Amino acid sequence: MKEYTIDCLGEACPVPLMKTEKKINSIEVGDVLIVQIDHSCAMKNVPEWARTQGYNVEIDEVADGEWEVVIEKTK
Amino acid sequence: MSEEIKSIQRSGTRAPRKPKKSQIPYGIALVIVIILIGVALSYKSGNLAMFWIFGIGFGFVLQKSRFCFTASFRDPWITGSTSITKAVLIAFAITTIGFTAIKYGAFVNGLPIPGMNYVVPISFATVVGGILFGTGMVIAGGCASGTLMRVGEGFMMQMLALVFFIVGSLLGAYHFGFWKINFISNGPKVFMPDYFGWFGAVVIQFLIIGCIYVAADLWQKKKMGA
Repeated sequence: MKEYTIDCLGEACPVPLMKTEKKINSIEVGDVLIVQIDHSCAMKNVPEWARTQGYNVEIDEVADGEWEVVIEKTK
Repeated sequence: MSEEIKSIQRSGTRAPRKPKKSQIPYGIALVIVIILIGVALSYKSGNLAMFWIFGIGFGFVLQKSRFCFTASFRDPWITGSTSITKAVLIAFAITTIGFTAIKYGAFVNGLPIPGMNYVVPISFATVVGGILFGTGMVIAGGCASGTLMRVGEGFMMQMLALVFFIVGSLLGAYHFGFWKINFISNGPKVFMPDYFGWFGAVVIQFLIIGCIYVAADLWQKKKMGA
């Protein structure tokens, strides 16, 4: 199991999601992807997208207004 | 949603968490300041105080609900998710009831119908404006309300967007007269109650919203399978 991090701090809404979509396709099943975001809109659409894909998702508020979305590629 | 009960295993290399400061005292102080400004404004004019409270209330709801008009138009294309699109449609349906009540109330009492100067002609300019605004809001990461909300959240890029939003609005307002005379005012003005009656207009509006809602739902099922 490998862990990848993508830094989307300072990126506005659609960018974190598009980077996540791209990255998740290149990693192996069982790997974990951590997306760092600070745009409140991405807080909604990144987890929602990942959940509808059937991945495990956790959200961690690391600081005020800064989140890490942890996605486990389960399939 | 999946059933993610067990926590996802992560390697132990993550940075130690910064200690979070409680923001509750600031929040309480802010509420007091908001109320004081509201009271001060109400001495000047009751309307002003009302705008103040409604504006803050709207902003609060917008921020807490992560409601985003940009996402409602963009996400169907990017991810196929239409959950926000459907939320916006429901909001339209609710405001339809409210607006109809206000307008019809004025109409039956023989008063001038409020908000009629927002019934503007439909023309090719509507389409061009929609494309320009749509492109801009996706690049800027927010429409008007979304940009303002995220400036409040402290998102730096959106402050830049706000500056150019103001520049653009001022420029637009400055030569709006030219466009209005030459392009916009040629189109037909449609106020649905004039054509279908009050009840008919509401029914038709609900039918249109309902059709888009069903289409949005099918779109999500097709694109995401959920």
